[in-house]
Amino acid sequence: MAEQQAKEIVTKEKQELAKPQEQTRPGRYYVPDVNIYEFDDSVKLWADMPGVKEKDVDVTLKDGVLTIVGKVATDLYAGLRPIYTEYNVGNYYREFVLTENIDDSKIRATLRNGVLELELPKKEQAKPKRIEVSAG
Amino acid sequence: MALLRFDASLDPIAGLLSLQDQLERFMRNPAFAAGLSGYGVYPPVNIFESTEGAIVVAEAPGLDPAKIGVEGEGRTLTIKGERVFEPNGAGRGYHRRELNEGKFSRSIQLPEDYDVSRAEASYEAGLLIVRVPKAERAKPRQIAVQTA
Repeated sequence: MAEQQAKEIVTKEKQELAKPQEQTRPGRYYVPDVNIYEFDDSVKLWADMPGVKEKDVDVTLKDGVLTIVGKVATDLYAGLRPIYTEYNVGNYYREFVLTENIDDSKIRATLRNGVLELELPKKEQAKPKRIEVSAG
Repeated sequence: MALLRFDASLDPIAGLLSLQDQLERFMRNPAFAAGLSGYGVYPPVNIFESTEGAIVVAEAPGLDPAKIGVEGEGRTLTIKGERVFEPNGAGRGYHRRELNEGKFSRSIQLPEDYDVSRAEASYEAGLLIVRVPKAERAKPRQIAVQTA
């Protein structure tokens, strides 16, 4: 399994207020649940961000660190008074260290039904090459 | 009971902070919880009140809208759905698999003041929102003052 571990995307979960830059951010931040699947030519990531609209998602890849931020929309709650609550709402934030060579110019992000879907295409040299074997 | 309503006209950060505070204050409100199917059942719900009625907001991302069922019977509101995760293409395996998958069904009992039979549901940004209007008898009435 050594080969598989090398391909693993290392998750760096950010705890609330654990990093200096988070202290300036007011409010609760939540770590979204994710699925990360690997394909031959890409890595795909799905992150649950209920309550977030397209315009409020921010995806950045810098120095091999993928950051996803989703700002939750609050207009739904205008004029409402809570009478029973089971969950709190807040923005979403999660960072991943990518060990794959990702072509950051080709990252595609879509948001559907509260799920952020990211397609991270691999750079050409990172794609597995199939060598054709010809019969001698 | 607090009569403060969430005010979105505040700036976004202050608005979110005030919303978070209010949600925290009503977290698992014991006065209301008796009629619910219990904390921990999927999906988690928040229930709000407006001048028109109650609004049930369930956090259930990634559902197929065609497979969401909302039923009202008496005072009971039942929400059902299924989440299927099937990525296209032949994968080479996964690194993380944290998303929920499967079916759910949850029933919520609302106070008699609401007319479950006239509820309307929508699915927006992974939130299942059910608006239950107040029953006619529970609406405030203007009482005419007669002079002798």
